[in-house]
Amino acid sequence: MSDPARPHRGTIFVEDAEVLSIDRHPGGQFILRLRSPKCATRATAGSFVHVQCDHTIPMRRPLSIMRANADEGWIEVLFKVVGEGLFSLGHKEPGDRVSSLGPIGKGFRPDAKRPRTLLIGGGVGIPPMIFLAETLLNDAGNWQPLAIMGSELPFPFELRRSAIAAGWIDADVDRNLGLLEDWGVAGRLASLTGFPGTYRGYVTGLAERYLASLDDSALAEVEVFSCGPTPMLKAVAALAARFGLPCQVSLEEYMACAVGGCAGCAVLVQTDEGPAMKRVCVDGPVFDAARVFAAA
Amino acid sequence: MPVAKEQKTNPLALDFCGLSLDSPIVLLSGCVGFGEEYTRVEGFSNRDAGAIVLKGTTREPRLGNPPHRVSETPMGMLNAIGLQNPGVDRVVDEILPTLDFAETRFIANVCGSRIEDYAAVTRRFDNSAIDAIEINISCPNIKEGGVSFGNYPDMSAKVVAACRAETTKPIIAKLSPNQTDIRENARRCIEAGADALAVINTITGMAIDVERRRPVIGNIQGGLSGPAIKPIALLKVRQVYEVAGPLGIPIIGQGGIATARDALEFLIAGASTVGVGTALFYDPLVCRTINEGIGSYLVRHGFGSVAELTGTLVTGTAPATPRPGPANESCA
Ligand SMILES: Cc1cc2nc3c(=O)[nH]c(=O)nc-3n(C[C@H](O)[C@H](O)[C@H](O)COP(=O)(O)OP(=O)(O)OC[C@H]3O[C@@H](n4cnc5c(N)ncnc54)[C@H](O)[C@@H]3O)c2cc1C
Ligand SMILES: Cc1cc2nc3c(=O)[nH]c(=O)nc-3n(C[C@H](O)[C@H](O)[C@H](O)COP(=O)(O)O)c2cc1C
Ligand code: FES
Repeated sequence: MSDPARPHRGTIFVEDAEVLSIDRHPGGQFILRLRSPKCATRATAGSFVHVQCDHTIPMRRPLSIMRANADEGWIEVLFKVVGEGLFSLGHKEPGDRVSSLGPIGKGFRPDAKRPRTLLIGGGVGIPPMIFLAETLLNDAGNWQPLAIMGSELPFPFELRRSAIAAGWIDADVDRNLGLLEDWGVAGRLASLTGFPGTYRGYVTGLAERYLASLDDSALAEVEVFSCGPTPMLKAVAALAARFGLPCQVSLEEYMACAVGGCAGCAVLVQTDEGPAMKRVCVDGPVFDAARVFAAA
Repeated sequence: MPVAKEQKTNPLALDFCGLSLDSPIVLLSGCVGFGEEYTRVEGFSNRDAGAIVLKGTTREPRLGNPPHRVSETPMGMLNAIGLQNPGVDRVVDEILPTLDFAETRFIANVCGSRIEDYAAVTRRFDNSAIDAIEINISCPNIKEGGVSFGNYPDMSAKVVAACRAETTKPIIAKLSPNQTDIRENARRCIEAGADALAVINTITGMAIDVERRRPVIGNIQGGLSGPAIKPIALLKVRQVYEVAGPLGIPIIGQGGIATARDALEFLIAGASTVGVGTALFYDPLVCRTINEGIGSYLVRHGFGSVAELTGTLVTGTAPATPRPGPANESCA
């Protein structure tokens, strides 16, 4: 029963989602697959779910959707334990149920005129970048995504020596996420810790090497997408501004309702009408970087 | 004369200061935006609530407070949104026309920092489609150095009287729990012309991030809501009912209602309707569960309508009088 005058109605689903699998990774990182068929059909890169971690912790926790398979009716999230909510979620077992609300939010909107999509993910900001890579892969357009992912914890993925050449970086920086390799998506990794085959430094350092290798006509085809800790996003926004590139970032803020009702998640955004407080849950979580971070 | 056909009446329907509500559930101000937000959720319907109170509205637009604005606490949450709203003109001109008044009753929530502001906002809503006007007297009074109007009976009454002069629509005074004697405040608000009372607003509180030794909430202090405040709210409803009940002034009981059982407690304590706010954040479809639970309780206990339940608290040593009806079937 869709209402043409109110297209927002009935677009977010409450599902009693069965845990299909939970993979545990070092550093309190988890990849959780949930049976959530309705959410899976409408999820887009950058959208998220608001999940109840435990009956004793009634407030939900927002988590980006990393993958969604509408045919098989599942979604996947990746999270790192911060406090008691995600700690409880990490104790779920296959067969357990988790109340999931989603998909929520306006996701990334890549511009077809800029097919060189540069995806920069840090830590638990990696999931929406994976979703975006998979979306571009399945899209008919002539996308040429490059993923630059950073983590100070061991990456919660299989890492592989990349078969996709990257002349812009030293030959020993050669690892990519196995998942991206399978999809034929170019990628390189960064970590200050210096995991083997990764660039020792920040994701922005690695991204800068890539951008500096491009000529003006190639740069004119680049658009930057990013998710990760706020200091990283600010650095990404500054880098994009320096190269004159459009940049979309996915923000985090504490949430209560996650459907636009409480204004609890609002952040300051510069709009054409002046400064405004926009809700990360339904006006975002993806925003134009230049409108949320003052030009650096 | 034709004999009136026997109509199947909805036992959850009630009259609330002249408004006919299909359910005793009132969705609370600040939790449901400007009335359409929760309809994003499949299975949620504004029809499941008897009324919906819109976000606190001021004369001028307000950006509200810096983040973080919300934070979970044990069985509750703190909020300090700072009354973010587009100002009364845009609410009346741009938002009200988009609402479907066939679905439920919409109530405005009026705020201000000066009595003139409350009066001006009320006047603007009086000339609109809104069904009733709730006065949030918990806003800080800038003239008196930021203290809350609602914590002082004199000031509360002045605000209510000023709004009363501006409208013939039903006025609901929303009482603060952050005061010594809520009964006195209730009495004064009724004398000043309130048609109904909302009891209670949030309780002030704070939380600290010990690692950073900083307040979690950007505004330092916030309002505590959710199940954690329920016992406090219930007692306040009982106290206000002692004053308002005999005068026929109905109460929207609220503070931590998350289940049908919670709602029933408030009704028995003296509320005519029950407010649901924070519980929506836990379960966006909670209205249906609460409506069903109240409905089956009415049947089990032989009440023909929800209004009969209001204020039926049994105190002293006398046993609760058994009521006739299907109740006896299910006696265990
Ligand atoms: C749109 C969005 C997408 C996110 N995606 C991911 C993801 O894919 N993977 C992941 O690991 N994390 C993600 N986060 C962050 C994640 O929601 C928080 O780490 C989580 O809520 C912490 O809960 P906790 O109980 O473990 O921690 P606690 O610190 O005990 O949480 C206390 C309260 O603060 C809130 N809170 C604390 N940190 C954050 C934060 N960074 N963002 C929002 N709320 C917070 C919690 O929700 C909770 O209400 C995302 C946040 C947002 C807003
Ligand atoms: C996020 C949030 C915002 C609120 N904003 C308002 C408001 O603008 N005006 C108002 O009168 N009450 C406001 N309240 C108070 C609620 O309307 C309600 O009185 C209170 O939360 C207690 O009910 P609950 O425990 O069911 O949430 C707000 C509460 C929350 C949680
Ligand atoms: S969390 Fe309630 S509006 Fe975003």
